[in-house]
Amino acid sequence: MGDFRYIGRDIPRPDAVDKVTGLSRYIDDLYLPGMLYAAVLRPEYAHARILGIETAAAEAMPGVVKVVTGEGCTIHYGDNIKDLTPMAVDRVRHIGEPVAAVIADTPWHARAALEKIEVAYEPLPVYVDAREAMKEDAILIHEDNGEIWHLPTLHPIPGTNVANYYRLVKGKGEAGFEEADVVVEGEFNFPFGSAAAIEPHGAIVWFKTDGTLEVWSSSICPFIIREDLAHAYGLPVSHVRVHIPELGGCFGYKSDITVEQTVAYIASFVPGHPVKWVATRREDFIGTLIAHGIRIRMKMGATKEGKLVALKTTVLHSTGAYADTGVNITIGAAHNSTGPYEFPHCDLEGYTVYTNTPPVGAYRAYGHPEAQLATERMIELLARKLGISSLELRRKNYLREGSITALGERLWKHNGDAEAAARIVEEAIFGHEKPKEDERYYYGRGFAALMKSPKGAPFSTKGCYMKMNIDGSVSVNMAGAEVGQGLRTIVQQIAAEALKIPPERIRVYTEIDTQFSPYEWQTIGSMFTLQGGRAIVRTAERLIRKLKETAAQVLRCDIDLLDYDGEYVFLRSDPSVRVEVTRLARGYIHPDGITVGEVAQAVADARLPRYSNPDEHGQGTMGVTYTFGAQGCEIRIDKKTGEIIVDHFASAFDVGRVIHPKQIRGQVVGGVTMALGAALSEELKFDEEGRLLNPQFYQYHIPTYKERLRKQTIAFVETPGEIGPFGARGLGEHPVIGVAPAILNAIYDATGIDFYDIPVTPKRMKAALEAKRKREGEDAAKEVEA
Amino acid sequence: MKTITFTINGVERTVIVEEGLMLLDVLRDVLHLTGAKRGCDNGTCGACTVVVNGKAVKSCTYPIEKAAGAEIVTIEGLAEDGSLHPIQEAMVEAWAVQCGFCTPGIVMDLYALLEFDPDADDAALERTLNRHLCRCTGYEAIEEAAKLAREKMKKASGE
Repeated sequence: MGDFRYIGRDIPRPDAVDKVTGLSRYIDDLYLPGMLYAAVLRPEYAHARILGIETAAAEAMPGVVKVVTGEGCTIHYGDNIKDLTPMAVDRVRHIGEPVAAVIADTPWHARAALEKIEVAYEPLPVYVDAREAMKEDAILIHEDNGEIWHLPTLHPIPGTNVANYYRLVKGKGEAGFEEADVVVEGEFNFPFGSAAAIEPHGAIVWFKTDGTLEVWSSSICPFIIREDLAHAYGLPVSHVRVHIPELGGCFGYKSDITVEQTVAYIASFVPGHPVKWVATRREDFIGTLIAHGIRIRMKMGATKEGKLVALKTTVLHSTGAYADTGVNITIGAAHNSTGPYEFPHCDLEGYTVYTNTPPVGAYRAYGHPEAQLATERMIELLARKLGISSLELRRKNYLREGSITALGERLWKHNGDAEAAARIVEEAIFGHEKPKEDERYYYGRGFAALMKSPKGAPFSTKGCYMKMNIDGSVSVNMAGAEVGQGLRTIVQQIAAEALKIPPERIRVYTEIDTQFSPYEWQTIGSMFTLQGGRAIVRTAERLIRKLKETAAQVLRCDIDLLDYDGEYVFLRSDPSVRVEVTRLARGYIHPDGITVGEVAQAVADARLPRYSNPDEHGQGTMGVTYTFGAQGCEIRIDKKTGEIIVDHFASAFDVGRVIHPKQIRGQVVGGVTMALGAALSEELKFDEEGRLLNPQFYQYHIPTYKERLRKQTIAFVETPGEIGPFGARGLGEHPVIGVAPAILNAIYDATGIDFYDIPVTPKRMKAALEAKRKREGEDAAKEVEA
Repeated sequence: MKTITFTINGVERTVIVEEGLMLLDVLRDVLHLTGAKRGCDNGTCGACTVVVNGKAVKSCTYPIEKAAGAEIVTIEGLAEDGSLHPIQEAMVEAWAVQCGFCTPGIVMDLYALLEFDPDADDAALERTLNRHLCRCTGYEAIEEAAKLAREKMKKASGE
């Protein structure tokens, strides 16, 4: 660590002061001249034909400028599957689908007029679960499934509700179970949830009189929005300008295109006026992207010595009414269902199934927590059957140097050390005696190891632009979205380290604008530090090269004789022969005014090495960057109420290099807490008609202050990676992955009760305890009788 | 339409608004004071918290009529002469800020508590912070910030 000047230090967040003074501007804080406001009508039925829409009464309401419906809309969009339309045309497929919209002079006039729109529907059968939608007699949610444009790597099954079938076979596939002495099977469910950032989604779209389109959105993918809107409206991509203001949390569901096409469609009816739409909390739950909806059937086999040999996983993904944003989550869940273990034989399949629920989209860790809930529970079941310690079983099978992942990628030392992370958590959780059961509580301890692979795409690069100013300070411009994670701080530190100048002399971009920002795919997959950081280092190298090129002319020597230290470019063999970088920033100006050299600015980008599409076996390369970790907990279960209290939670990850200790801890504390919500309380509940029963924060319970964790052990292993800057890997998503299985494993340890799904609410826990007591009472009675 | 006059951050303002609006609607969409945030519309998340006549209120469920004649302080009114208020300083120093969307509400609720009672006990801090939802931090740093803010306010009131 001593080798670094600025890496590993808690430098201040550049955005903190604006955030505590209320000056940061989020989407809903923007007001433009002539701006109008939209409100969107959502249907009464989750699946129905639209027979007619009556808008006259709404049009007559105060302040109303226009009422818009989807009639005649021909726009179809989607990056993976073009199954989305901006507004329902003649059919609604889920309860949050836009049916009509009012444009008015104020938000309250727009909302009031919505109530006057009358829609006649013909209800259709509703499927809220993939198992229902896959039945033979199920009607098709998309009659043209299979004919809809999709990426060539996807495989929809025409005539069914299966939007994609993915299968990965490694080794002998399912036939590999022949080598197993012991086999366990289980079925697990990770129900619908929501990322539920405190800031709801919103967008402003402005069809300008000059024929261009200007957009502001609470999104992390400005360049995707730009390309999608340009395509939809037949504009050159250059003529669509997308701004990203401050973001009030993302956690996944502000990635991919979400609400922007709908707002653009609405705004297209009032060219010349910017139109703002911001979701109400209910709309944020039903009208954007929801999460999970993943059921997993898993079969795991091992030799009697505890060597894992085969894994069969079937992912049934209730992906919602549109599969564009869900399909890759199914795939991710399937191929990451090995967890951090090597299985010589894998048969991993995933069904992305249309259902009459809001579309599922990214949620922190993208398929990993859903899949590894199953994996980490199965490891426990398997260890029990083998009669060995589950920690020992894990240790025998961790992916490590020389292992081959399910995708067929070979791992190296630089991919990190799962076992080292596990040892830290084992010591923190199991290194002391467990409290004995008392009158009020059962006590339990649980463990889960984890693996996170990145999520790439062939073009998933991140760009960086830097310019050195005449005082030697540097401006850095990128398009990575700050969603709270502290990305700007990291940019500042990596740039400072790479340029050898203090972070205080570096100013990082504060907003993203596709007109000026370098290209970035989207800020997802815990890849900004890794890829964005690499882009910064590459750009800094080019900038330094430029300085040296100019200095070589000034000092009249070969460029390779020169060195740079942040202040000077100098002759390595005689450092007294030197020139200040401040005199090189605009090129070097000789005393007579004749100037040589170029302006000190540079641009570069960085992608994952050799990322590839899946081959015919469903395998391919994700870019050789994996992160391993482990989590564990000590819990108490209230015998009377069923309440689960987490007394201590431990997490350790091999992150390669800690760049900012305070911020990395903040990511872990926040991530673990978010995942505790999923494990213990959060579930979006749809009734059988597809209506959401809990679309408010007082119904969908996210962790509150009172429920915060009081004790967390957080540690990092630092096996430097070969790809990221200064050895760093990503961490944003990882803290959520092992939480639910660690809790469920602890529940078993405390009570002997196995849960296969979440959330384990106090009510469910209490019922399970009562059922167990009843069973034990009956068994005891039987024994007495015998 | 109703004409309502109140004082915001020391400045008297008069608005002519329709009935049925909440204080948050007027702060944001009429006066463009956007520091108070809209996160839920039903007083659950706390992001819209402002201080009315010395008390923290959730402005999304506070009818504008009730604000007539009131003294209102919003997050925009806290920093003076370009310097942060001690509570704002504490939030920065304790790393309690991530996305920042819940931050103004938390700062204003702590302000309503600590400005009048710098000796507030831990239970009072707990009650105050439990009125706010944060999805980023897991609350650990927010707890530290609140305690640091109390220390700073105590020091300032002793001077």
